Amino acid sequence: MSVEIKDLHFSYGKLKALEGVDLSLPSGAIGLLGPNGAGKSTLLRILLGFLKPERGEGRVLGYNIKTQQRQIRRYVGYMPEDDCLITNVDAVAFTSYLGELSGMPRQEAMKRAHEVLFYVGLEESRYRNLETYSSGMRQRLKLAQALVHDPKLIFLDEPTSGLDPQGRQEILDLIKDISSKKDIQVLISSHILSDIEAVCSYVLILNKGKVANQGDLQALKQLDYSLYELKVKGETESIVDKLKAMECRIEKTEDGMLKVYMPPGKSAQEIFRVATAGGHQVRHFVKSQTSLEDLFAEVVGVD
Amino acid sequence: MTIKEKGYTHWDGEFLNKKLSWLPITRYGIKLTFRKKFFKLLFFLALTPAVLFLAGIYVAERMEDFKFMISEGEMPDFLNIDPAYFKAYFTNDYMLFMMVMLLVFCGAGLISDDLKFNSLQLYFSRPITKRDYFLGKASVIVFFLLIVTLLPGLVFILMKLVFSASFEFLSAYPLLPFSVIGYSLLVTIFFSFYGLFLSSVNKNRRYVAILIFGLYIFSDVLYGIFYGIFRDEYFALLSIKENLKQAGAFLFDQKLPHDTPWFLSFVIIVGFCVLGAYVLKKKIRGVEVVK
Repeated sequence: MSVEIKDLHFSYGKLKALEGVDLSLPSGAIGLLGPNGAGKSTLLRILLGFLKPERGEGRVLGYNIKTQQRQIRRYVGYMPEDDCLITNVDAVAFTSYLGELSGMPRQEAMKRAHEVLFYVGLEESRYRNLETYSSGMRQRLKLAQALVHDPKLIFLDEPTSGLDPQGRQEILDLIKDISSKKDIQVLISSHILSDIEAVCSYVLILNKGKVANQGDLQALKQLDYSLYELKVKGETESIVDKLKAMECRIEKTEDGMLKVYMPPGKSAQEIFRVATAGGHQVRHFVKSQTSLEDLFAEVVGVD
Repeated sequence: MTIKEKGYTHWDGEFLNKKLSWLPITRYGIKLTFRKKFFKLLFFLALTPAVLFLAGIYVAERMEDFKFMISEGEMPDFLNIDPAYFKAYFTNDYMLFMMVMLLVFCGAGLISDDLKFNSLQLYFSRPITKRDYFLGKASVIVFFLLIVTLLPGLVFILMKLVFSASFEFLSAYPLLPFSVIGYSLLVTIFFSFYGLFLSSVNKNRRYVAILIFGLYIFSDVLYGIFYGIFRDEYFALLSIKENLKQAGAFLFDQKLPHDTPWFLSFVIIVGFCVLGAYVLKKKIRGVEVVK
């Protein structure tokens, strides 16, 4: 396990950011999800060794999060969300400089900078001034700088933000390649759930400073509830109220469809029973595939 | 663009000793400074007094050869090689002005560029601490300022010994090397804090450059105005330049240029450094790397 956290607590003054977080992350790509204020940034800060937890224990790559922060940052790569660069340099100088800051010898850092720039597809523009780079190229460069010192674990903060669909797909392909074939564990914090779904096999959902859910993505999507989509004729308020009374969560889509999340132990027949009892005519009914978005909404409790 | 077939290979080298983790920051800062337009010219101009003063030491030692240039055959006062000569080099207006100009070129963008381009998160996500970061940045300023202060000062002493072929000079002024080292360090440390502090207060390097230059000039103008009105020497404490001159005169054991206690100038210089350190500590925070 590369990241193991037990009973982690952290507060900013009176505001509790993390309350009793327990984690044990497996290898591969892991998605870190949560609404704003859920504690994702605080968790990343603690994992990178910037904050000391008030209570609890933890290890990242075997290093203690309270006492061995420098070692953690030596073996961890971080790709920030914000656009960040160093002025008046080309990609080779930039990447090798950051390799040196990680503790690599100068010559090695230079050699390695060329390698990772080739890997992320910036080989032809590696001698261009960074200020002339497009958004997609900057994202690739940020990934290259995170990889230059050959980390064992890499934190990616919104890796596809600001990218067009093609650029996004290219970055996702790189992340998939890193996590599946290069023996580097990846922790992705993102609001774009489809990205997490495309890349990660394991998700960790934080909400209000606590772990709301974590586990294998496929298992989480299927075990917790069944999702049905239906359309009924006429008004829908009464059937919605009755289904809610049965502890179903209901979402209304823009085209008038109802998405019904059935809790475990309840079947589709219950929906028809309620519809029949209320005199509702069901015009459309289909068992839908649950997405990460559905899981997230279910766990976090938002529509 | 696709993932290269060449693929990703693991690096099997060893990381370097963490004690020098600030060194790449300094090396990089120096490299970038030399790339700046007109910097080399400025650096050359800043070293001109050193060449002239060195020539003065040579001429003073070889007076016999230069007798024809002097009307009455007497050594001019300014060619007496003593602590006053060194003080004249270190605290003359031109030298202090050139130090400020060097600071404008090498120090203005040191932190402000990092703030502007969000580079702090690139630094602090590495195994470097805030202390390493400041040390690396300050060493850029220290490098350039020591080249125009400590290095010439020590070379002057060495050349004086070489030209005179005796240690008489050192036995006459045994504390002079310490004065040179002390003043060079004082002025360099002060300007390092001054430069980094101002560089951290704004994201625009041009604005910072104006601040560095402007504050130095403004403090002197302020002194001039108040002194002109009230004729009180204590207003010299308002001026960065006058405080450095006062401290220099004290360290070289020369007559103080102002009728104020020498330690007040030291208090102001140290106070400014403390203020700078406090602001830097507050402004630069590693924890904000993850937003």
